Amino acid sequence: MFVYEKKLQYPVKIKNCNPKLASIIISQYGGPDGELGASLRYLSQRYSMPYPELKGLLTDIGTEELGHLEMVGTIVHQLTRKLTDEQRKADGFAQYFVDHTQSVYPQAASGTPWSAAMMQVKGDPITDLAEDMGADATTAKEQPHFQKARKPLI
Amino acid sequence: METRMQQMRDGRNRENEACEECGILPASAPLATPFVPFQRNNPRTYPAKQGVVRGTLFPGLDLPYMGMVNEGSLSQTHLHELQTLAFALTELGEYLDTHADDRDAFALFRSYAELYQKGREAYEKMHGPLTQRAAAMDDKYRWLKDPWPWEYAANKEEG
Repeated sequence: MFVYEKKLQYPVKIKNCNPKLASIIISQYGGPDGELGASLRYLSQRYSMPYPELKGLLTDIGTEELGHLEMVGTIVHQLTRKLTDEQRKADGFAQYFVDHTQSVYPQAASGTPWSAAMMQVKGDPITDLAEDMGADATTAKEQPHFQKARKPLI
Repeated sequence: METRMQQMRDGRNRENEACEECGILPASAPLATPFVPFQRNNPRTYPAKQGVVRGTLFPGLDLPYMGMVNEGSLSQTHLHELQTLAFALTELGEYLDTHADDRDAFALFRSYAELYQKGREAYEKMHGPLTQRAAAMDDKYRWLKDPWPWEYAANKEEG
């Protein structure tokens, strides 16, 4: 059972719109190393996890990742909430805008929709934990990649 | 005559041919030394206010990206206070998942939970229900009250 709390985990307050940046940050929402994948990876691995510590941890981290998903969605939303016609046609954003307008769609920066093919749930504790460590390390890698794509990110 | 490259490709080298633990790596590959610093019982914690901007409650797990430390702080609003306490609770909860016998951490968890409850009451009095179920405690249905969390207005400093 999940219960929604009407607040973000951490405040997101972005004054200036920046559609080009949004088209990159969307990858953290629905890309291969994004928060949606992180959450579903943990929450789906729970069922076959034999140890109480790890059942708890996967449940709690998987839940927290949903909170992260909401923050990233919020970032994309606020970066695109007021756009001029010129900004809608901006490089990197026009392709997103034509399909999704100013809404938030779970896709990678490349435009590939989110897919469960981006993650693994094997039913073997070591395999699943190795998958989680690999995925978490890629999250740590996202930052410098974003940094190169456009700075400053945050 | 075999070249060095061929030996390496075959996973052998002359010096260590009899040495099974060398595996199939070339002789130039050193043994790896991986380590994971397991969190011990009763680890040092940041005050919740500092933890929430550092992104972790535990100094022992704090690895700032490229050495850039977030020294900022959240302004004092009901929402920020609630977010700060909720963050500390999430962090401590996940720690307790793997350290259930740590009594000090559990005591801290309890004290933050108590503060959270008080903070929640103050917040809801001013801004409306935090959960749909809490809306039932009100004299009328205020769950739909704007702004929603993702909206810019919900994250403004005042209040």
